[in-house]
Amino acid sequence: MGEVIVVTSGKGGVGKTTTTANLGAGLATHGHRVVLVDADIGLRNLDVVLGLENRIVYDITDVTGGHCRLRQALIKDKRFEGLFLLPAAQTKDKTAVSPDQMKALCRELKEEFDYVIIDCPAGIEQGFRNAIAGADKAIVVTTPEVAAVRDADRIIGLLEAAELRDPRLIINRIRPRMVRHGDMMSIEDIIDILAIDLLGVVPEDEMVVISTNRGEPVVQDERSRSGQAYRNIVRRIKGEQVPMMNLDEGGFVSRFLRRMIGLS
Amino acid sequence: MVREKGNPQHRWPASADELIDDNTILIQRTLRSGQSVHYDGNIVVIGDVNPGAEVVATGNIIVMGTVRGVVHAGAGGNEKAMVLAFRLEPTQLRIAGHITRPPDEQSQKPEQPEVARIKNGVVTIEIFNGERQG
Repeated sequence: MGEVIVVTSGKGGVGKTTTTANLGAGLATHGHRVVLVDADIGLRNLDVVLGLENRIVYDITDVTGGHCRLRQALIKDKRFEGLFLLPAAQTKDKTAVSPDQMKALCRELKEEFDYVIIDCPAGIEQGFRNAIAGADKAIVVTTPEVAAVRDADRIIGLLEAAELRDPRLIINRIRPRMVRHGDMMSIEDIIDILAIDLLGVVPEDEMVVISTNRGEPVVQDERSRSGQAYRNIVRRIKGEQVPMMNLDEGGFVSRFLRRMIGLS
Repeated sequence: MVREKGNPQHRWPASADELIDDNTILIQRTLRSGQSVHYDGNIVVIGDVNPGAEVVATGNIIVMGTVRGVVHAGAGGNEKAMVLAFRLEPTQLRIAGHITRPPDEQSQKPEQPEVARIKNGVVTIEIFNGERQG
């Protein structure tokens, strides 16, 4: 029996879809069977980021509506063995799926896959409720911006209210130089407010833009720093203890962060 | 934020009622953005009050953690109500009808527990030294 992990953030544009794609690809390279579920119905993106847009025949609403079998809607990734995508519908809206249907779908998917990763839409309305309905665990993505952290805090509160305990945090697009100059929130500042376990920190990296546009997850890029960050996060999800990446030569990883490592 | 001026605006009718000490609620978690607690009495929070969260009490508010959101003590008009926190860095602090906010310029972060209450008609924040307040 696999586990269902929802990737959520509240705010849009912080990197939920990119994170979902990279975690999926990363877990698949470790030999796991992974399915990525795009729960952003009406604004689907995950297929584009994975470069699978032109293979979509059926989508999630066809499955929940009984128009096709689950297996028919799953798209096999072209590069990563064991990685599948259940795409969102583009022509429908969030009300096309109910939380109960999502629960049933997740139950069915985790029978067959080791990891079911759900890409949650931005916002806290029904799309969010649907996305978290069948989840066992949650990953909250934020960027070092006051608004993104505020929304992450709201989301953590809502996850707790929905009995999704102990979400873990990914801080995305951090720029160590700006943090050092006091122009950007530091990891400590963010953890101080959100007070949840840190799963990883992904540095700002141009390679993410390039790879996202090409439909090739950056996690497979051995040279990119963000790829390394995602590979570390993947190993932490698998339960390995991986030290936090040194983002900068200037002793950026503080003692506080070292203490955070122990929390898997 | 060490000391700030009060706003003379009154939003609740003033009342001279004494606080009833046995009417207190205990919140044993951090209040996150979007969450709020309203209570007719005193509120004790064991945890933080994050930005975007709101705590409103007709009596006193005590936070065993950091206050970064909005706190309102004496919401029925009790001018003797106070707010006490391990770290007091609120977005906005209200006592009875007085509404205050930190100064716009960057101020030093508090390093010890502080208490806010009305003194001579002005909301005043002082280091909490454990003496009987009032």
